[in-house]
Amino acid sequence: MSVLIIVLGLLAGAYAVALLEDRLTRGSFAPAAPLLAAAALLARESIVTRKPDRLLFETAPVLLLIAALLAAAVLPLSPTLIVADLATGGLFINAALAYVLVALLMAGWGPDGAYAMVGGWRFLGQVIAYSMLIVMPITAVAIRAESLLTTAIVGSQEGWWNMFYQPLGFLLFFIASLAVCFLPPFDRPSAEGELAAGVEAEYTGARLAILRLGRMVLVVSLAAATSVFFLGGWLGPWLPPWVWSALKVLAVAALMLLAGYYLPRVREEHLLAWCWKLGIPLALLNIFIVGVMVLAGL
Amino acid sequence: MQTFFIGFFGLAAIVFAVAVFRTSSMMRSALALLFSQTALGALFLALQAEFLGVLQIMMMATEMSIMAIFMVMFMMDPGGLGGMDMSHQKRLSMIAGLGAVMLVSAIAAYTRWQELASLSQAAAADEQIRHLGRELLGRSMLVFETAGITILTAMIATTAVAVKVPAENASHES
Repeated sequence: MSVLIIVLGLLAGAYAVALLEDRLTRGSFAPAAPLLAAAALLARESIVTRKPDRLLFETAPVLLLIAALLAAAVLPLSPTLIVADLATGGLFINAALAYVLVALLMAGWGPDGAYAMVGGWRFLGQVIAYSMLIVMPITAVAIRAESLLTTAIVGSQEGWWNMFYQPLGFLLFFIASLAVCFLPPFDRPSAEGELAAGVEAEYTGARLAILRLGRMVLVVSLAAATSVFFLGGWLGPWLPPWVWSALKVLAVAALMLLAGYYLPRVREEHLLAWCWKLGIPLALLNIFIVGVMVLAGL
Repeated sequence: MQTFFIGFFGLAAIVFAVAVFRTSSMMRSALALLFSQTALGALFLALQAEFLGVLQIMMMATEMSIMAIFMVMFMMDPGGLGGMDMSHQKRLSMIAGLGAVMLVSAIAAYTRWQELASLSQAAAADEQIRHLGRELLGRSMLVFETAGITILTAMIATTAVAVKVPAENASHES
C-alpha cells in the first residue's frame, strides 16, 4: 500500500516540477501542458539512430527512472509511510543515486552520436566533483542521529532542524543535489542550448518521455531527501505528517528550480575545482563541527 | 526464498562476468563488469549482509564508470567495431581460473556447514552496522588508517606524475 502511495506521490511531484519548470523557462502556466507534452511524446515516432548500441540505448531511460524511484524508496513521508526503512537507509540513497551516472553514461554512449556521448562524459566529470558533497553531509546528519535509519534521522530533528543545526552541510547538499539532477546551473550534460541537448539529443518519442520522467522523479527524490535530512521531514505543528512532507518537498523542489534560474551555468572543470578545493574541506569541517556539538550534548 | 535469491544473483554475477569477455566494445565490457559486481552486492544483501551489499552496489557504479572513461580514452577501438578481443594471456588465465575454481570447491566441500549454521545467526542489520563501526574505529583503526593514507599518497603521487610540467621548466628542457 505504501509503495503505491509513494509512487503516486512521486508522479504528482513530477507533475508539479514539470509545471514549475514550464513557468520558469517559458513563462507560461498551463496545468494541462505537461500531460499534453507527455501524450505528444508517447504518440510520436521513436527514432532509433544508425548503428546504436541497442542494449544500452534501450536500457538507459528505464535505469534512470529506476534509480530515481529506488532513491525515494528509503525516504519516509510520515513515520509509517515508507517503502523500506532500511538500517542502511542513509547509505542506500547514495547507492541508488550512483546509478543515475550509469544511466546517463549509457544514454550518452548508446545512440552512437557525438553530442550525446560528450554529454554523458560531462556528467561523469560532474559526478567526480559533487559526489563527496552528497556523501559527507549525509555522514554528518547520521552522526547527529546516531543511525542511518532515515526515520531516526527525522526523529533526531525534533528540537532543531538540521538546516539550522548544520547550515553548512545543508548548503553543500543543496548545491550537490542540483548537480545530481543535472538542473541548471549544472545542466551542461543535457541543456538544450548546449550540444543540442546532450544526452537527450538522440532520444525521441516514448524513450524521451521516460528519460524526462526519470529526471523529474529524480528532482522530487532529491527534494524529498533534502527535506528528510535537513528540514525535519514530516515534523511540524497542526497539519498531519504527510502534508508537512509534501509541502516541504514541493518547497525544496521549487527552490532547486529557482536557484538554477538565477545562476549562470558552471563548467565541469570549474565545478571540479570549486568542489574539491572549497566544498570538500567545508564538508569535512561540517562533520568536525557536528561531531563536537554531538559530544558537547547540544 | 533466500536460497533462490542467492542462486539468482550468483548466476547473474557469473553471466555478466562472462559477458565482460564475450563483447568487443569497451563500454559494454565495463558495464558488464559493473553489473556483475552489482549482482554480487545483491548477493550480499540476500546473505543478510546489508551494509556490505549496499556499499558494494554504491562503490562499483562510480568506479566502473571511471574505468570506462579511461578505457574509452586510451584504447584505439572503444566501440569494438573492429572486433577486438578482450582476453589475453590465455594459458595463464585458464590455469589461474581453474585453480580458483578448485580452491573454492574445496572450501565449499570441506566446510562443516551444519555446525556453522547452528553457531551463527545473522545479527539484525542495525546491530551489524554498530559492530562494524566499533571494529573500524577500534581494533582495526590503525590498519584502515594506514591503508587510507597509502591510497591517498598513491593518488597524490599519480597526479603529480601526470600533470603538465610548469611552463618555465618546460622551456628549460626544450
